[in-house]
Amino acid sequence: MRLRKLPESLINRIAAGEVVERPASVVKELIENAIDADASEIVISIRNAGQNFISVTDNGHGMAREELSLAIQRHATSKLISNDLGLIDTLGFRGEALPSIGAVSRLKLTSGLKDYKEAWQIEVEGGKILNTKLAALSNGTCVEVRDLFFATPARLKFLKSERTERSRIQDVINRLAMAYPRITFLLTDCGKKLIDLKVSTNSLPNCRLSRLAAIMGKDFEKNSLPIDAEREGYQMTGYAGLPTLNRRNAAMQFLFVNGRPVRDKLILGATRGAYRDVLAQNRYPILVLFIDTPQRMVDINVHPAKSEVRFRDEGIVRGLIVSGLRHALAEAGHRSSTTVSNLALGSMQPGYPQHSSHLPEKPFLSSVHDYQDNKDFAQQKTILGLNVPLQSNDVKYDETIEQSLQDYPLGVARAQLHCTYIVAQTIDGVVIIDQHAAHERLVQEKIKESMGKGGVPTQGLLIPEVVELKSNARDSLLSREKELKNFGLAIEAFGQGAILVRETPAILGELNISGLIHDLADDLSELGESIALEERIGDVCATMACHSSVRAGRPLKSEQMNSLLRQMEKTPFSGQCSHGRPTYIELKLADIEKLFGRR
Amino acid sequence: MKITIDRTNLLRSLSHIQSVVERRNTIPILANVKLSVDPNTLTLNATDLDLEISVNIKTNSSSPGSTTVPAHTLYEIIRKLPEGSEIAIESISENQLVLRSGRYQTTLSSLPTTDFPVMDTDNYDHRFTIPADNLRQLIDRTKFAISNEETRYYLNGIYLHASENASSPMLRAVATDGHRLASKDIPLPDGAENIPGIILPRKMVNELRKLIEETDDEIQISASENKVRLEFGNAVLVSKLIDGTFPDYQRVIPTNNDQFLEIDCNSFANAVDRVSAISAEKSRAVKLNIARNKLTLEAFSPDHGSASEELDIEYGGNSMEIGFNAAYLLDITRQISSDSINIAMADSGSPTMFSEKNDNSALFVLMPMRV
Repeated sequence: MRLRKLPESLINRIAAGEVVERPASVVKELIENAIDADASEIVISIRNAGQNFISVTDNGHGMAREELSLAIQRHATSKLISNDLGLIDTLGFRGEALPSIGAVSRLKLTSGLKDYKEAWQIEVEGGKILNTKLAALSNGTCVEVRDLFFATPARLKFLKSERTERSRIQDVINRLAMAYPRITFLLTDCGKKLIDLKVSTNSLPNCRLSRLAAIMGKDFEKNSLPIDAEREGYQMTGYAGLPTLNRRNAAMQFLFVNGRPVRDKLILGATRGAYRDVLAQNRYPILVLFIDTPQRMVDINVHPAKSEVRFRDEGIVRGLIVSGLRHALAEAGHRSSTTVSNLALGSMQPGYPQHSSHLPEKPFLSSVHDYQDNKDFAQQKTILGLNVPLQSNDVKYDETIEQSLQDYPLGVARAQLHCTYIVAQTIDGVVIIDQHAAHERLVQEKIKESMGKGGVPTQGLLIPEVVELKSNARDSLLSREKELKNFGLAIEAFGQGAILVRETPAILGELNISGLIHDLADDLSELGESIALEERIGDVCATMACHSSVRAGRPLKSEQMNSLLRQMEKTPFSGQCSHGRPTYIELKLADIEKLFGRR
Repeated sequence: MKITIDRTNLLRSLSHIQSVVERRNTIPILANVKLSVDPNTLTLNATDLDLEISVNIKTNSSSPGSTTVPAHTLYEIIRKLPEGSEIAIESISENQLVLRSGRYQTTLSSLPTTDFPVMDTDNYDHRFTIPADNLRQLIDRTKFAISNEETRYYLNGIYLHASENASSPMLRAVATDGHRLASKDIPLPDGAENIPGIILPRKMVNELRKLIEETDDEIQISASENKVRLEFGNAVLVSKLIDGTFPDYQRVIPTNNDQFLEIDCNSFANAVDRVSAISAEKSRAVKLNIARNKLTLEAFSPDHGSASEELDIEYGGNSMEIGFNAAYLLDITRQISSDSINIAMADSGSPTMFSEKNDNSALFVLMPMRV
């Protein structure tokens, strides 16, 4: 076997492998070109999930005839004008998309400049230019890709099912559409409309929110908090879902850097840290974050598909995300998501079968009759164990005080049901509170606060534990020695591949030290944060809180209930228990009226 | 197989048997107790494959044979029979056993003894006898410090080995959970000079402690590389040893602690208990503020406030502030039988040693807390 140089066509196919992985990557590259060409409308149509046919048409500024043949050569681009990789203000810059796609498919590129009448078309097949001819197109560019991967059958074999490939294409379009709310996106598959995103007429922040709502659902619009934070040149905007709106995986977490959708484990770690004690470990919040920064502070040229970026200072970005999210969450305070109350309303059934056209008169009247029979109701009250303290004689409430209580967000406690749920009346609705969950949250916050004050007591180890670690894990743990010490874990270097643990947080008692150290090391390498320790301490706090809070089934006096409500209003994160379950739900009067057909 | 037996004797033996038998088993026969009758003796056997117990009971009328029945069920039945009753047990077929007492009768399903696992076949290299009271002290003084953390399995037991104290040979028991250490010496019995260091597992320790209560005689101990056998008159315990190396505990027993404090053990323990009551936490800390002739105990809880108590002491060392886990301190004071307790300290971050006055056969080492 002798060394030889590979033929040009093979080189192109290998390069194509890096950029064009599947139909979705073709769609991504073509849409990015359209966005870079300042299009305001992008129409994508596919057949057979893009395997047979993909076309992307935009109304951008287009290309002239002589540019067309250059466009399908490698490393030819109109972007990157300054020839400086540190100054990239376009989505593309490598000049590889079109030639790569051309190398593995039958490509037809049609383009016309904005103010010219004529448009030209060039055809490429498996990397070879077939012809160039005049074509009909008003302005902008239309790229048609047929028989993708016909030149690389191996790739073809490794494609997933049509359904999977189609959903990836949708995913790619949705991601880009989130970042560019000013562009109309339309996706059709064999004529069937899959995505139809119009530009909202609102101004920018609202326009972005309505685009997000169109993609992620109305729930997100109603149950998200706007984020706006800035730190040392990094600007973060976006929307974070309330903790009670959560998912089983992180698929609904989106990060955009300078308008470019990226997948970065940074966001995973930072959000887990930010949502640490409002969500169970295996639940993930929904969020969309846009980080904008001068081009010099971020390196995009990491990966051919540009799905990864490197920040000049990752620590600042992580801190920005964590503090920005925590700040927004703390401000939201006791808000719990409306999906919960919608769920409650949805499961409520009218007491009598409803006829669509008109209300049945007779049963309605008789039901009124039933409730007017006070004796019956009083009897029922004792059977149901309804605790109505405000009407009992031992507590006399001043009318004016009660009136002013109604002005509080969580209102005035009216009754306790099943010795477990507090019903409160607000100015425009009803609030139902789970007394155990709510009190548990309050106690936990208090424990945490007092722990923060007193520092973490530590127990010295009689026999210091040696934990063996890989040297990079060891170094990254040791670099956080101070931080860990604040949480009661004293470690020091011990030879090349090990660390020595001298003290552990006393609250954790006798624990599996090497397990904890390895968890911490994993956290550091995966998420860049040492969450495991705080989490374990948090778990112990949560158990302690659970044991020392008011149980379900305990009757409460109205003063106790009202005081619980007032504390909830004051305590951050009180809208959900530490596992992300709501502590209360609010039903608006309007919704209740709807249930009764009054609206 | 057929026997008649007194309830009291059977119940006492079965109580040992049932605590060896695990509640949940994947091998059905491990849930059973083996009953075997030789002329005039009933032998009960049970095992969890790590620990095996066998108990002999004298009987009057019997016909030989053997079978196995569910141990916990049998125990519950015997326990609920009236005191002083006579029990007749008869194996009526391969898989059925009938038990009668007064007008009560039960038929228990049984399993043949052929599958019943037997552990006690080893040849033991070392044999010695030890007075019951000595063994009780070894266990009682150290048991509280056994570790519960399963990853450091070699700490889940009591380490027994030949040692020396003031140049006289000793048999020493040591246990530690990494936060504290307890050690107790008894004079070395004849024949124990060359025993290897053995780690008695926690379950074995618990069972043998119960059996000691029933005997005043000497207990015969046989040990090999991986098993230990204890003979108490009517009962025999055989256990696998923990297969691991006990850490070099000598290094953590401080030898240069030169700040000596002697204090009345009872009033010290009561003060620790009272002062630490302020905090509801499991890991509550007590701070000892030691000055010339005055000890102040202090505890603090962010929620509930603070507490302190002063005690008069005889102390000539440096004044010092040192924190301990209150529960650990109380565990140690419970082991002290003399009026006063000796505390030897170095500084607030180093291991501290506790011992009885005039008796250094038991030592307790505790690592301070940083508060």
